[in-house]
Amino acid sequence: MLKPILLIEDNPRDLELTLVALERSQLANDVIVLRDGAEALDYLFQRGTYATRADGNPAVLLLDLKLPKVDGLEVLKAVRESNELRSIPIVMLTSSREEPDLQRAYELGVNAYVVKPVEFRDFVAAISELGIFWAVLNEPPPGSLRLQRHRSSGNQTPD
Amino acid sequence: MSSLTAAELALASENCAKEPIHVPGSIQPHGFMLVCDQETREILQVSQNATEWLGIDNGALLGRTLDELIDNAPVAVARMDELVGQENNPFHVADVLFNTGSNTPQTLAMLAHRHDGLLITEFERPVDVESAYSTLYPLIRTYLDDLQVAEDAEHLCRLSVDEVKRISGFGRIKAYRFDAEGNGTVIAECADDDYPRYLGLCFPVSDIPQQARRLYCANRIRVIEDAYYQPSPIVPEINPRTGRPLDMSFAALRSVSPVHLQYMRNMQTRASMSISIVVRGQLWGLISCHDLERRSVGSQTRTACELLGRVLSLQIEAKEANSKTQRLLELRRDIVRMLSAMADVDGVSEGLLSCPQTFVNFVKGTGAAIVTSSRCELVGQTPPAAQVNALVKWLSKRDSSDDVFHSDNIARDIPEVTELSRHAAGVLAVAISEIHSHYLIWFRPEQVRTVNWAGKPEKIVSETGKLHPRHSFDLWQEIVTDYSLPWDPLEIEGAWELRTATLGIVLRKAEELAQLAGELKKSNKELEAFSYSVSHDLRAPLRHIAGYAELLGDFEGSKLSERGMRFLDHIGDSARFAGTLVDNLLSFSQMGRSALRHSDVDLQALVTSIQAEMQPDYEGRRIEWKLDALPVVIADAAFLHLVLRNLLSNAIKYTRGQDPAVIEVGVRENADEVVVFVRDNGVGFDMAYANKLFGVFQRLHRMEEFEGTGIGLASVRRIIERHDGRVWAEGALGEGATFYFSLPKRGYSANNSADIDENADAQTDSPDRG
Repeated sequence: MLKPILLIEDNPRDLELTLVALERSQLANDVIVLRDGAEALDYLFQRGTYATRADGNPAVLLLDLKLPKVDGLEVLKAVRESNELRSIPIVMLTSSREEPDLQRAYELGVNAYVVKPVEFRDFVAAISELGIFWAVLNEPPPGSLRLQRHRSSGNQTPD
Repeated sequence: MSSLTAAELALASENCAKEPIHVPGSIQPHGFMLVCDQETREILQVSQNATEWLGIDNGALLGRTLDELIDNAPVAVARMDELVGQENNPFHVADVLFNTGSNTPQTLAMLAHRHDGLLITEFERPVDVESAYSTLYPLIRTYLDDLQVAEDAEHLCRLSVDEVKRISGFGRIKAYRFDAEGNGTVIAECADDDYPRYLGLCFPVSDIPQQARRLYCANRIRVIEDAYYQPSPIVPEINPRTGRPLDMSFAALRSVSPVHLQYMRNMQTRASMSISIVVRGQLWGLISCHDLERRSVGSQTRTACELLGRVLSLQIEAKEANSKTQRLLELRRDIVRMLSAMADVDGVSEGLLSCPQTFVNFVKGTGAAIVTSSRCELVGQTPPAAQVNALVKWLSKRDSSDDVFHSDNIARDIPEVTELSRHAAGVLAVAISEIHSHYLIWFRPEQVRTVNWAGKPEKIVSETGKLHPRHSFDLWQEIVTDYSLPWDPLEIEGAWELRTATLGIVLRKAEELAQLAGELKKSNKELEAFSYSVSHDLRAPLRHIAGYAELLGDFEGSKLSERGMRFLDHIGDSARFAGTLVDNLLSFSQMGRSALRHSDVDLQALVTSIQAEMQPDYEGRRIEWKLDALPVVIADAAFLHLVLRNLLSNAIKYTRGQDPAVIEVGVRENADEVVVFVRDNGVGFDMAYANKLFGVFQRLHRMEEFEGTGIGLASVRRIIERHDGRVWAEGALGEGATFYFSLPKRGYSANNSADIDENADAQTDSPDRG
């Protein structure tokens, strides 16, 4: 069973287009959609409405930089500061290369970022590559999933 | 006797100034003196001539009391104390009779004053008090009335000499006024026909030694009845109470220096009377009365003259205070005028230059200069700029930290700036910056002056080193050169006030600039935030349009007509183009905001790398490159790369139809700048539109001919202008185009100086641009 891809995106159009792109990349992973940073943290830390969700971390986080309530950087920071979550690969989705927060995202340990291109084909290509790399190529051996989760360090994830 | 060198004269004058004229040890013999103990009135010293006046031995006087000799002595002395108080000028206390027993008792006028712990009494022939009163009082009253209408000090003095002439009857009355050095010029004179005149003549400072001037200030009147008198010594020489010779500073009968008597005789004067004019505690002038004959001046007349002298002194003081106030008001008015001019144009230099008359005339200059680190503005009659700059250099190197410098003789005071004195003789300068060498400077021309001396101003020293007064008082003209009119202390003060106020303005301006810089920084931040939201929010819908158009084609393409599919393509193309526009606009706005990082930029290497970079764009085309040897310049490498890439990509784009295309990159250098040009043989442009070329979104071609967003050349201009350079273009339709840009030659530091004149651009660059 593949770990899910967590997509955190507030804009419904971007959400739809990203889902289409993921669909076209033909990844077998489930995609769990969360609409703001607070919801994402609830899911990741298994609290609130997600208190009872099944254990296990997602394969990758596709995280929009600008999000309501808790923004992408804050989510990134919280993940990197948590022993359980630290190892999750995070790909930042940004609207423009101009964004000053990009630098900050790197400081906080983002694994990659994608400037959502105006050209849809490019976007599909970028998402596919990233999805394949992080969700498939970096998939840890299935059997070790739960064991890995209880280890303190995230050394199984190449940075 | 010999003629003198200056040093010898100075030495002799010094000797003269050392003569203790207040303790001459003798009196003039037109009266006699009894010096008494203050309390017991025991006689301690007498003048030798008392014997002749009283007909008894001096020995018989010493040791007796005044009360024994004069019946009403206690009453008279009490009266003096009552009327005079603490003042120590001799006061006519009473006419008295001496009981000496021997001679017929005679009535004598008794004058008394206290000094140095002693009671000093002087006796002379009495005057008829009644007649003195009836003649003196009306004269004085008329005189006082006249003083009210006098215009200035000279007028006051003219009235006074006339009045003194009437009261005293002396043959010639002169009023002197002393200048700053102490030379006295005769400003008023009233004389009988047979007297030589001295009006307008100048008597040198050495005529009246310093200690005599001090005595003139203390004791306002002095009479010498006969220049040929035989002084009568005081005995004993040493006063038994004080243990010193008698101090006669205030005594009416004090004997004068033999040098002075010689001076009088040389001047053919037998009798003299001097009335001091003391203004604000300083000896301002003298009313000097001379007579060819021996003259006695009664105590009433002396008192009247002394009173007149005091009234005159007060009047002059009032007149001077008044004209000082007037001048001060004028100066203040001018300062206010200049300050409001500065406020109007918001700048010190510009403000002063907008009211040049006021600026120059304010301290009665004939020319003025405003010198800052970048400018030297000259108004009116001034030395040339090079000289003024040399003067500023000299001023800023002075050891003294005085903010005001003034000189009325540049040749004497500033010999280091050799040529300066050829153009001006007087200078007044104030520093208007605490840090920089910024000055306001006024100039005055040389004022060649003829001084009419009363005789050549030198004395003669005898073999014994004693000073002898000159014999000739005939006119001797001296031409004084190298001097300007002296700077009035009020004007110097005014210049200082202007400086203080100006500093205030400069400081305020600096504060305003700092505030402006702060606001700019803030608005720059806001602009950044704005760009960010433009990039983010504008790109998103464009992305959505392009994305959905694509999806529509993918999912429903089969249901669309060929035409419908074309429309869909156009929707996608337009959205993508709009996206490119947004990106280009963003980088264009970035060019205006981000800090320039100057370094050496090798233009040759830059062009070569751009050629390689653009290779894909002209793949398969024939381009003939003509490249000059390009220099290394100082600029921001990344931005300059953008400039050349824009120009070269335009050249490549617009020569698309040429075979071969010819693209030339050249350089012209002069002392101030490097001019680089990119020339092509492409489609060119109509010079009528040359001014539109560098505007944002300005395009001279239709989209289907040549693609582009119309931001490239606007970026070129923005970048070059930020380097303080210029851009321009030449071309003709179908004949190619040449684009030029220039870069000023300068050092690395040019952009770092934070002078107040500098525009705020450099300070508000955001340092954290990624």
